[in-house]
Amino acid sequence: MRHGVGTGVRIALGLCLVAAGAQAQRGRGRPDFSQMLGDPNSYYTPPDFRGNEPYDGRFTFARIKYRGFAHFSREGPGWSHDYPRSESHLMRIMRDVTSIRPFIEDGPRMGGVIVALDSPELFKYPVSYLSEPGGWFPNEKEIAGFRDYLLKGGFIIVDDFGGMSDWANFTAQLQRALPKAQLVQLTGKEPIFDAFFKIDLNIIQRTYRGSPVYFGVYEDNDPRKRLILVANYNNDIGEYWEFSDQGFAPVPLSNEAYKIGVNYLVYALTH
Amino acid sequence: MSNALRALFEFLFKYRPLVFAKGELALGAPWPVLAIVVLGAAAIAPAVLSYRRSQGKTTPRDRMVLRALRVAALAVLVLCLARPILLLSEAVPRRNYVGLLLDDSRSMRIGDRGDRRRADFVRDSMLGDRGSVIASLRRRFQVRTFAFGGETHVLESSDTLAFAQRESRLTDAMEQARQSLDAVPLSALVVVSDGADNTRAPLADELVALRGKEIPVFTVGVGAERFGRDVEISRVDAAREVLAGSALAVDISVRQTGFRGATLPLLVEDERRVIAHGEVSFTRDGDAQQVRVGVPLTQPGLHVLTVRVAPQPHEQVAENNAQPLLVRVRGGREKILYVEGEPRYELRFVRAAVDADSNVQLVTLLRTADQKFLRLSVDDGNELAAGFPVSRAELFKYRAVVLGSVEASFFTRDQLQMLADFAAVRGGGVLFLGGRRAFGEGGYAGTPLADAMPVVIEGTALPDSLTFLADLRATLTPAGLSHSATQLGDAAAPAERWRALPAVTTVNRIRRLKPGAVTLVSGATPPDGRAGAPGETVRGYVQPILAYQRYGRGFTAALPIQDSWTWKMDASIAVDDRMFETFWRQLLRWISSESPGRVQAELAPDQVNKGRAVEVHAVVTDSNYQRLNDAPVVAHVEAPSGAVRDVPMEWVVDRDGEYRGAFTPDELGAHTVRVEAHAGTALRAADTVVVRVADLDDEFVGAEMRGDLLRRIADETGGRFYTPATVGRLADDIALTKRGVTVVNRLDLWDMPAVFLLLIGLLGAEWTYRKARRLA
Repeated sequence: MRHGVGTGVRIALGLCLVAAGAQAQRGRGRPDFSQMLGDPNSYYTPPDFRGNEPYDGRFTFARIKYRGFAHFSREGPGWSHDYPRSESHLMRIMRDVTSIRPFIEDGPRMGGVIVALDSPELFKYPVSYLSEPGGWFPNEKEIAGFRDYLLKGGFIIVDDFGGMSDWANFTAQLQRALPKAQLVQLTGKEPIFDAFFKIDLNIIQRTYRGSPVYFGVYEDNDPRKRLILVANYNNDIGEYWEFSDQGFAPVPLSNEAYKIGVNYLVYALTH
Repeated sequence: MSNALRALFEFLFKYRPLVFAKGELALGAPWPVLAIVVLGAAAIAPAVLSYRRSQGKTTPRDRMVLRALRVAALAVLVLCLARPILLLSEAVPRRNYVGLLLDDSRSMRIGDRGDRRRADFVRDSMLGDRGSVIASLRRRFQVRTFAFGGETHVLESSDTLAFAQRESRLTDAMEQARQSLDAVPLSALVVVSDGADNTRAPLADELVALRGKEIPVFTVGVGAERFGRDVEISRVDAAREVLAGSALAVDISVRQTGFRGATLPLLVEDERRVIAHGEVSFTRDGDAQQVRVGVPLTQPGLHVLTVRVAPQPHEQVAENNAQPLLVRVRGGREKILYVEGEPRYELRFVRAAVDADSNVQLVTLLRTADQKFLRLSVDDGNELAAGFPVSRAELFKYRAVVLGSVEASFFTRDQLQMLADFAAVRGGGVLFLGGRRAFGEGGYAGTPLADAMPVVIEGTALPDSLTFLADLRATLTPAGLSHSATQLGDAAAPAERWRALPAVTTVNRIRRLKPGAVTLVSGATPPDGRAGAPGETVRGYVQPILAYQRYGRGFTAALPIQDSWTWKMDASIAVDDRMFETFWRQLLRWISSESPGRVQAELAPDQVNKGRAVEVHAVVTDSNYQRLNDAPVVAHVEAPSGAVRDVPMEWVVDRDGEYRGAFTPDELGAHTVRVEAHAGTALRAADTVVVRVADLDDEFVGAEMRGDLLRRIADETGGRFYTPATVGRLADDIALTKRGVTVVNRLDLWDMPAVFLLLIGLLGAEWTYRKARRLA
């Protein structure tokens, strides 16, 4: 089934999108206490960040950062949650199970790079990761960078969001960048779930209240073409990556999270 | 020798230089030579003795001078008494024949003799009863006149000379005239022509035959040896067959006179529609330039392109401003095997670039993990199911191979040799991409592929380790400027377009090309860029970005960078920029388009005038591309009307795998020739080529009078070369050839004015000396 979401659900999502859109554009997707933490137009710097490894052609995990302090926790704003252990662990897995030899660490630098959507550096990393889009309120320049990135051939993994508010904000921002883009629920039969491992989406990784649902945007909205974006709604596979060495979740579930991550990256590098 | 000098010579010596050259000197006096010597001594002795006896006021020097002058004068007189003569064989009037060959081709219509055409000279001097040259020939010889062009025939009436033939087969004409006059006493052949010769048989063979028969050829060159003002497309070269969507590289040779400092536009037309532009500049008068123009061809089928330079004001000949070019555009899908050792951006973007290309099938074998492969764009589940091909037959099915970042140890030694043979024996293209597991870094040093690579590999074989990194900014080399692989669509200034591209990176230290390799795109580290191994900084680092070399029957190319995808993804590149896609589509077409099939057919020529023979030449190989002898091979020729005939192809016994046949098309239009090789009753392989039959204007290429060719014909056969200004003595000169029925004439030399002048001079000198020395 290509469009797995029922009509009713799609209508509801659409209504939420419209309702939330105006709020989201003004950066008011939820009560905004984050302004109390600092300048909403500045970027937070994670304490473990030691600068970006200079580009050298290796596959490097690229985490997208956004301005402000929305969804702030002890790990910083939403975009920086799970940094850098999440990507560091995933890259080690990539090195061990695939023929890819990614950047893992170089001295104090580990995991990957952090890039902004309005930075030219973003375009050196055609695969990138956006965490907690519920707190993502990009300006026009970032929206333009996001749009160009996807249209030129970039691939974005959107992770760690759930609930109607997050969904509404994410879809609203996506619509700003790509007004014609259609988010399609993925069924598990798509090539991305067979790019390296055979993924069974029925193995639930529950980190939000609802069940995880996987969405994607196809190039030109044509399912025969490649996916340019995948969104793990009601899920946080980055969390599994981050804590896989600490017993946060049963090993089989952490494995599934890794398998999904590996598949996403192999797919992005081959399709 | 100038006319004035020639006239002076003839006044002093009575006869022309040719007479002296052809004649033999002798003494014609009725007395014995001894008597003349005695008489001379008797005359000279008193003079010598008289100077000894009377010394007077003279010094010894005076006496020596005067004695010498007197003796010389007396010696001249004695020589005259001996009556020197010249024995000269001359043709007996009207007993011998001359074959007169008149050029009847279209190029004789060119008006480069002041306001007169070349043909006018033929009409005025060589035809009818009033023609001065023909009249003098007829006084001495029986003249058989032939008209020649594409065909040679006896000229019965001057009315049949229309100067309309589309070829000048001069060599054939001389051979035909020689054979038809074989039974008569032939003094010479006379060729009146502008020297154009479209004969395919070698001229040297005919000259040997003429020398063997001792038949001199007298040539009369009509026309200017150098035009005052003319531009000409003298040659057009390009691949005869390309894949749809390719940028065909057309090499155009342009000659000119009178256009020093000019820049002229070149056009390439397809069905009168301009599809490509170029321009050619000339720094010196008489320059010939070769330029390359990239021509996009998208529609499959036969294309008759016209390469043209627009007629210029006051140009001598307009018919040589265009040349046709026959190109067959294949519409099929080329299978290219891409082997990649790791999932990486380069693979993903390259595949995306050609994904929508209906003419390229990039069959991909990707190692995603140890012993785990992902196959993409395969025809069925069996293709590459066992990994990389283990037999030549399996590998050689592909038209080209791309090797990505995959280390040498991935392959067996046999597979490495097969890859080298893919270019050397199969004739395909192999493209080596850069990466951490490629070139020297991939451990290829010392393998058969190291020999095949167009670059000298360096670097330590430490796969996956960063042993070297350099930023490179691309620059198009002169060779790359018009190469089909580097054409970027509509980019008007390709060099600037390449220079403006963002920098890419390489992890392969490559600085030297193999001898014979060519760099198309060069890379240099920008001032703020990185170059070197970790901890090392190399200043001014330069390495090829795209280079290639011929390798055996095929070729190999290297693109030793790891991220050409930057040319698509970089922030400075516009979203709708198609440069990257265009580059890769052209690159893959280039490496695959020259790959021959198992039957490789060629036609010579591929454009002919109606009624001219066409040779079919084919190389036939088996599935391993080993040449196959004595196979049943036939060419099916389909005329435009649909009529089909079979031309048997014979194995050329001294050339492995080569077969030849010939046919003569008798219809105008494109004839399709399908050459089939069979194994028993089954079809083994086939190839299709096309010949265009049309009214061609080859006559006007190199249309200046070819004096060098006509002089060579005359010199090598013992004849002479004339122009309309010097042709007046033609008949007299032919008479001295000693050919046919001749008579020996005795020509007196004692009464030459030069003799009298010498005598008077000697006596006058003696008198003048005496006066000067006050001895008289």
